[in-house]
Amino acid sequence: MSVVTDIREIAGFRELIVALGMREVRVRYKHTLLGIGWAVALPLSLMLVFTFVFSKVARVETHGIPYPVFAYLGLLPWQLHANIINQGARSLVDNRALVTKVYFAREVLPLSAVLSALVDFCVAAVVLAGLMLYYGMAPGIGLLLVPVVVLVQLAFGVGCALALSAANLLYRDVQYILQVGVLLWMFASSVVYPIPRSGGFVWLVYCNPMTPILDAYRGLIVGGKVAFAPEFGVAALVSVLVLVVAWRWFRRMERVFGELA
Amino acid sequence: MPDPAISLQAVSKRFRRGYHVKTLAEFLFTLPGRLAAKRVDGLRSHEFWALRNVTLDVPAGQTLGIIGPNGAGKSTVLKLLFRILRPDQGQVVVKGRVGGLIELGAGFHPYLSGRENVFINGAILGMKHAEIARKYDSIVEFAGVPEFMDMPVKNYSSGMFARLAFAVAAHAETDVLLVDEVLAVGDTAFQLKCFDWMAQRRKQGGTVVLVSHELNNMRGCDRVLYMRDGNVSALGEPQPVIDNYLADTGQTRDTRANDIGFIAGADGKPRAEVTRVEWLGADGAAIETIEPGAAATARFHYEAREPVADPIFALTLFHDDTRFHLSTKGDYLVHLYSGEAFRGLTLEGAGAVDVELEAMHLPVGSYRAKAYIFEGGRLNPLYVRDGMARIEIARPGWSDGRALIDLRQRWHAPAKANWQP
Repeated sequence: MSVVTDIREIAGFRELIVALGMREVRVRYKHTLLGIGWAVALPLSLMLVFTFVFSKVARVETHGIPYPVFAYLGLLPWQLHANIINQGARSLVDNRALVTKVYFAREVLPLSAVLSALVDFCVAAVVLAGLMLYYGMAPGIGLLLVPVVVLVQLAFGVGCALALSAANLLYRDVQYILQVGVLLWMFASSVVYPIPRSGGFVWLVYCNPMTPILDAYRGLIVGGKVAFAPEFGVAALVSVLVLVVAWRWFRRMERVFGELA
Repeated sequence: MPDPAISLQAVSKRFRRGYHVKTLAEFLFTLPGRLAAKRVDGLRSHEFWALRNVTLDVPAGQTLGIIGPNGAGKSTVLKLLFRILRPDQGQVVVKGRVGGLIELGAGFHPYLSGRENVFINGAILGMKHAEIARKYDSIVEFAGVPEFMDMPVKNYSSGMFARLAFAVAAHAETDVLLVDEVLAVGDTAFQLKCFDWMAQRRKQGGTVVLVSHELNNMRGCDRVLYMRDGNVSALGEPQPVIDNYLADTGQTRDTRANDIGFIAGADGKPRAEVTRVEWLGADGAAIETIEPGAAATARFHYEAREPVADPIFALTLFHDDTRFHLSTKGDYLVHLYSGEAFRGLTLEGAGAVDVELEAMHLPVGSYRAKAYIFEGGRLNPLYVRDGMARIEIARPGWSDGRALIDLRQRWHAPAKANWQP
């Protein structure tokens, strides 16, 4: 089977991806008082915690950006990534009943997990606008390039979700390792403080696409930049590579999903 | 022969036996060995063949039934056809859109309403949103639960759940339909609805593969496949294959036929037992077949190793076609019960009791009997045994009637009827 027929097969299931993604969103906020408000409340409360820590307890240099805006701009895309990873990794295991009983392209499950994370992301993005308004900040022309950053992040996220969902089906350890792993990853990326481009940690920037991606969001939205940094180009390449390799592995493993689940 | 809709060519499927690695260290140390282990005859030490060299064609529009004991590979075949499993050797080809009722309501979420679940389940079964919207009213009507569509399905009764799930599945237009035991859920009315629907799909030219333990479901198939230990044991016309299967499993046409239960005496043997039940015709000769409405006697041969005071005998009759049981629990159709007839008597040693039946007004078909002895004038069971005696109710020259009750009837025209000769 060629790549084109594979993609066409998955595209044929787009309505199912949407249906399962929306099911995930609906079920997540069922029986909660705040409902979809939780999509806002989580990054918002994290932002408040880190604002307290990094502007009152230990100061962090944010190049003139008010710390709450800096932190929220990091936490918003980071929450998207964390949700993609956590929900993506569980997508096949949690839907065992489907994997062993009904056939559809298996990518549908991690993809619908990505979609449900994306819904939360869009809702939480509204708060960013409010926050910038409060600090009297207007986005620059660079905002028009943000969709490119989102696409690169999604390519990376989908790659991670595909690989982790299959790995988690093999060994359920994956979803537990991720609980610590995601936290560690967050502090290794420029989520709540900038990662310097020089010094002993510079390798972190190049082998972790998340830092260039997060910095690209900040640069384009509040930093007045209208172009991508070279390390973002590297991140984009790595992301596409991760996606391709992860997907090929997923396709190979897919043959035994019915037995593993 | 028309083009096969389903084709399996020399298909084999390996499964791993339950294989447990206790620790991470053990996992790491045994990994190279396990990876390097050579397959002997295609298998590593912890593997077995779930299917071995199965070749099978199902022409478009035919219905294939699959029978066999547990673990014979029936569901594996279905899952291969459904692409849930992939073959290790050989080739599986299924033409057209495949739909399945491997499990009803796969993907139903308990927190979501019936309406929401219809759309999600429909999408899982391969329907487009517009298609489901168009068929929505018809689905609700088929399920017969219009007033509950906005209620979360966790509050549904299991019957409602099954009906709604089946209604969605029934509306997915598929060329090939795979059905696995799912019809065992739900009440009899629901089951009949399912069979009606399956018959319709077949009329419309759909190809159906049906896995079931209920052998009566198999008689309507074009062909039956009998699987055993991952191999094709027999394939062909339903009746010979079913007989073949029954002969192999040593059954007298029913899995429950050899059920037996008793209260043991000091020697571990039943205190009293029914050694044999036989059917006698009006002339006292042993019979196996009788016309509906004719008289018959069932004779219990018993042996009481210890005295049994105030015995009660009972005999229940089960129609082979379980649809006559009016309940999915496999309830009997007829219950004969001696009540007070033997009060004051004591059974000792071997003997016989008869129950005379004036007129066997029963649906035609084959029946098996289950015999009971109770003790002390109350329902303290001493001995129960199923599969005691078979009797066939049949009217020569009549086709297989399906009426539940065969009333004694006399037909005549009123004297003044103006009939033209």
